[in-house]
Amino acid sequence: MKPRLQTSAVAVCALAFWFMAVWMVGFSIAQEQQPSECLDCHRYRNLNSNEGILSSQQFCYNCHKEEPAAHADFRASKVSFQVKPEYFLKSPHRFVACIQCHTTVAQSPHRSLSGVQCSSCHPKINGSPGTHAEHQRVRCEACHTDSPFVRLDAANNEVKLSHTNAKQATISLAEHKVTDVSREEFCVKCHASNNQVGAPTMVLPSKSFVCIACHYSPMRMGSPVFILAMMVALMGIVGTVVFWFRASVQGEATSVHRKFQLGSEVVWSKIFSREIFSILKTVFFDILLQRRILANSVSRWLIHSLIFYSFFARFALSFLTLFLQKFSPEGELTLALVNKDSPFVATFNDLTGVFILAGVIWAMIRRFITKPEYVSTEEQDTLALVIIGLVTLSGFILEGMRLLVGQIPAQVALSAFAGYVVSKLFSLVNLGWQSIYGYVWYTHALLWALFIAYLPFGKLKHIFTTPLSLLLNYKKG
Amino acid sequence: MRDQTVEQVIYWRFNVLHRVVHLVVMFAFIGVGLTGFSMAFSSVGLAQTFVWLLGGIDSVRYFHRFCAVILYLCVVTEILWGLYYRFVLRGNLLGPNSICFRIRDLRFFREHMGYLLGQSEGPPRFERFTWWEKLDYWTLFLGMHSMALTGVFLWFPEFFSRFFPGYFVNIAQVLHFDEAILAVLYKFFIHTAVRHLRPEVYPGDWVIFTGKVTKETMMRAHPGEWALLNAHQQGSATRDQ
Repeated sequence: MKPRLQTSAVAVCALAFWFMAVWMVGFSIAQEQQPSECLDCHRYRNLNSNEGILSSQQFCYNCHKEEPAAHADFRASKVSFQVKPEYFLKSPHRFVACIQCHTTVAQSPHRSLSGVQCSSCHPKINGSPGTHAEHQRVRCEACHTDSPFVRLDAANNEVKLSHTNAKQATISLAEHKVTDVSREEFCVKCHASNNQVGAPTMVLPSKSFVCIACHYSPMRMGSPVFILAMMVALMGIVGTVVFWFRASVQGEATSVHRKFQLGSEVVWSKIFSREIFSILKTVFFDILLQRRILANSVSRWLIHSLIFYSFFARFALSFLTLFLQKFSPEGELTLALVNKDSPFVATFNDLTGVFILAGVIWAMIRRFITKPEYVSTEEQDTLALVIIGLVTLSGFILEGMRLLVGQIPAQVALSAFAGYVVSKLFSLVNLGWQSIYGYVWYTHALLWALFIAYLPFGKLKHIFTTPLSLLLNYKKG
Repeated sequence: MRDQTVEQVIYWRFNVLHRVVHLVVMFAFIGVGLTGFSMAFSSVGLAQTFVWLLGGIDSVRYFHRFCAVILYLCVVTEILWGLYYRFVLRGNLLGPNSICFRIRDLRFFREHMGYLLGQSEGPPRFERFTWWEKLDYWTLFLGMHSMALTGVFLWFPEFFSRFFPGYFVNIAQVLHFDEAILAVLYKFFIHTAVRHLRPEVYPGDWVIFTGKVTKETMMRAHPGEWALLNAHQQGSATRDQ
């Protein structure tokens, strides 16, 4: 026998023996595994792999593929538990296992206690913070599932999908059809006249960035009204700055480039010198503590402080909320600050609002009723006061209406102590508050747009010019 | 002791805009570097502590992108300044006062190397910006563009993978990381060392923060520019920057 043939024969024999051995061992293992039939289905699948996800879906599809689902409990109500493949297999969740959203169903008894868990993957305030801030008590699926029936659960103050239709008959929610968010039906499901979930009839735009002076608002321009107001304000600001730079700077009267160069050089050399401490002193005493107004008159300082500090505090809180929303969108503090019904925010907003209103009323009384000799009233002073007063007043009216229309439970609404009183007053009169709300919202927004547009022109200009002139005329020391 | 009674002749080297841009770039660059490396080396304990301090990985991502946007806005500011310099101030972008490279810089480089190797008596008569200052400027200026390009790829991968194959995201990741190391090494070590550790300026060169240099510095470091200035206008301390 040739050595090569001999080697081949040995190799073939060895391979044959190996396959036989493997087959026999495998057979014996299969025999042993026969009884463990629970694990055939209830095995722990690797949901990080496509295989695990698809086999997990198939496991659920064993029952949920066909209509009607064969379960005895639900045969009586004739409710379908069929997950329709034509919707689910086209949805963004087609590569997600059922139990990744329905986290509590894989157990006995086979029923969900927590509902679908969107926030295990998606942020709670997702995509459009302007919309979601107002809808924190609305569960995700109430809007994003294509079922027209929603309800307000008074027990936990949540808007959720209803298991019954308008005729109180039980309906199926198993279709898994996701709503097209670009279509208008998305909003009018709730925002319709005489809805039961506490939504105003009108679909209102999100807040604009200019609302940040008092409220948390996202970084967007919002309604065209605000864009117009911002443009008017910007024109005024640019006009003012151009007017300032018409004057000569350190002897330079013609070249704008040289004026900017000399002016910026002065600012730079002041900031990076020891005089920065005197400037900071001016900022603290004259701008923040308003020492000059206090020296002028205590009552004047009180009136001004009621308005100034309230606005300042509201702006600071809104800005902090915006910052936190960007920086830690899922944080507990963020979610509490974004929600205007949370106890701290509601109390804070009402308190500062009451202060502003008190300051405006006090100033009005001094200007028109008591009229002390040293108070000289000009028309533009009155206009500024009236705008601020009306904005605050309409704010309280709006808050009262929101608490009433939204059917906010009393223990939550009480934190807004002033708004709650207003809402109780409104509840005495049976008007269509749901539909009125939108108009009052626009009134409030338009008044604020007027404030923004008027900012660089009239009395309100002092918000910027007075600190600036105080800084330019600081005392060395 | 310097004679305080004689008013020193001051030459303006950087205007306030350039000083502000440098300050902002400095801090934004440090921010981008810290957040970027703490994401790239996320297994290191120090990085984890830093991420925890900033409030989690999402905050770090936000901060990284925030700083990156600020950095790129500075690049845009520089481009706008270039246009302003050319079309409003009527400056020459290829002239001796420009930050742009010129053919003459090759000669300066050769002569400078010759001086460092002991082949000539003194350094060449540098103009307003020396070749290494121009290199400093343009590495960052051009580097910011490739970092921005790969950066937006990683920021919006879903969008870009509609037009490009998926492995472009991986390529962007590799390039972004490698160039980050290059940029940080260059800026934190070579740039700072060349600026501050030379014997003439040690322990620190403050010109980018004060904007002004003395006549002596001008004559020593930028003799070409000084000669040009004196040829045009005798001793004028302030000219367009």
